[in-house]
Amino acid sequence: MVTGGKTATDVTRDISRPILNKPSTSWKVGFTLSLVFLGIFVASLFWTLWTGIGVWNINKSVMWGWDITNFVWWVGIGHAGTLISAILLLFRQKWRMSINRSAEAMTIFAVICAAMFPVFHMGRVWVGYWALPLPNAFGSLWVNFNSPLLWDVFAISTYFSVSLLFWYIGLIPDIATIRDKVKGKYEKFFYRFFSMGWTGSTRTWARYELVSLILAGLSTPLVLSVHTIVSTDFATSVVPGWHTTIFPPYFVAGAIFSGFGMVATLLIVARKVMNYENYITIGHLDAMTKIIMLTGSLVGIAYLTELFIAWYSGVQYEQYAFMNRATGPYWWAYWSMMSCNVIAPQVFWFKWARTTPWFIFMMSIVVNVGMWFERFVIIVTSLHRDYLPSSWVMYSGSLTEVGLFLGTFGIFFTCFFLFAKFLPVINMSEVKTILRNRE
Amino acid sequence: MGLIDKNLSLRNRRKLILGIFDDEDKLMDASSALVHEGVHIQDVYTPYPVHGLDRIIGVKRSNLSVVAFLCGLTGFSLACLMIWYMYVYDWPMNIGNKPERFTPSWIPIMFESTVLCTAYGMGFFFFIRNRLLHGIQPELLHDRQTDDTMVICIETGDGVNESKIVDIMRSKGATEVRERNGGVQTTI
Repeated sequence: MVTGGKTATDVTRDISRPILNKPSTSWKVGFTLSLVFLGIFVASLFWTLWTGIGVWNINKSVMWGWDITNFVWWVGIGHAGTLISAILLLFRQKWRMSINRSAEAMTIFAVICAAMFPVFHMGRVWVGYWALPLPNAFGSLWVNFNSPLLWDVFAISTYFSVSLLFWYIGLIPDIATIRDKVKGKYEKFFYRFFSMGWTGSTRTWARYELVSLILAGLSTPLVLSVHTIVSTDFATSVVPGWHTTIFPPYFVAGAIFSGFGMVATLLIVARKVMNYENYITIGHLDAMTKIIMLTGSLVGIAYLTELFIAWYSGVQYEQYAFMNRATGPYWWAYWSMMSCNVIAPQVFWFKWARTTPWFIFMMSIVVNVGMWFERFVIIVTSLHRDYLPSSWVMYSGSLTEVGLFLGTFGIFFTCFFLFAKFLPVINMSEVKTILRNRE
Repeated sequence: MGLIDKNLSLRNRRKLILGIFDDEDKLMDASSALVHEGVHIQDVYTPYPVHGLDRIIGVKRSNLSVVAFLCGLTGFSLACLMIWYMYVYDWPMNIGNKPERFTPSWIPIMFESTVLCTAYGMGFFFFIRNRLLHGIQPELLHDRQTDDTMVICIETGDGVNESKIVDIMRSKGATEVRERNGGVQTTI
């Protein structure tokens, strides 16, 4: 799982190198580019708040557009982190150890990006706290516990909080390692503060492992619940194309699929730029592409099941919704989704495709594009032709909506570059346990 | 039993013998041999978790799973109480004529609340029990103990045969054996 005959000393040296050294040129270029995108986000957000969400092209038929598409897309991406750290930990898959740290970081940053969209879709964001179960000025009116939108508030905030805790507890031993390496006064203070006096005592390690295991056990149903709840935002409605019981497993599979797509995108770049080829090996990429292929196929089965059930139900509105997806004005989005998510990942049946980094990188982009289209198709094609033909409209994102979406890449990558500079992107203490495959 | 594990503090220890190791197998052998000879190992410091070492040196299984269960029960009860109070008792709402008593639609929030309280409650107790607090000064015995070096720490006192401990450590492959007296370390 780790190649190059590395020892514990090598692991510390290699993984802490970007933190102890001055930032490289590629880091500076990447960070600057991320800041440009962050600027686009700030500008688009400012324009949205200044003018109102009328600057988005959503309308009374298509009341969810790019915003909720992006929300679901980013939440989905956030799923791979917890899947890798929690579910693969429970299954004792040791290959996760090189990639779990960055995937967990990705989860946290992706959930931050995701949260932007429903929050600002509220329009009057300054009364956003109305979504919380707080007493308010209108008598004792409380939130609606029957609404999946409220479940979402609880699910996303719990997911974010628990992922953050899981990530941080995993980071403490490595922060302590960095603490004992850095020289500067401020750096020492920073790492000492966050390492919480960690010494590596066996007593602490024993409890640490127990806590990690319980957190993994908790996070596993949590990660499944989050996208299940996101899917019920749609499935509990009476909109044809949304009102289906297959949505929870279908969304969860799609989330893992897109999450692994993003993990592959990031790690293939990171292993090259940071010289981590011995830690994130071809074997890791091979394992990840197999999961991508599996979940892509699950998503494909879900697409076909939806079509079958629409036909089998005998409900003309359901049948029309799916016919309209495939052959209506948004046919291009539907077929982009189909080809990117179902057909393209089948190439991973071939070993060459699973072991060639540049090709996996290209495919991971295809997967991410495909999954964005999936959410767009679900949301827009189901809404744009309502029961009354007078409510039939077309929808395309405005410049501000596109700007907000591109801007979230700014948030995501700014956070990711800062993470890569100041924290170890590979879990050193865990990787050290698998250097020699002792039985 | 106090909440904070007193074994973790080295501050008021009189005299310590430290065996420095660079190999996990040698460390395990030395620990087993010392325990076999009836020596009480205060603690072993390792840069990564060494499986089985906690059992060798006699660390009891933690009760954190019980704490986690109790925290989860608290979270579940709080969610039940919150929903009942807000939705049934204080201001019943009729939305689409859906039932206002318990319905399956309450389950997601109960579940999320249970998970949140379990994770944070357990995390909090984990930090307290292990003396993990933001900004505190770590009590390090070796400057590479979080990197690649392992340290066996034994507190000596009346009736402890120090030379035997040193001999066992050396014979089992310690790279160095040190003595810490009053905060000052010297190589033996």
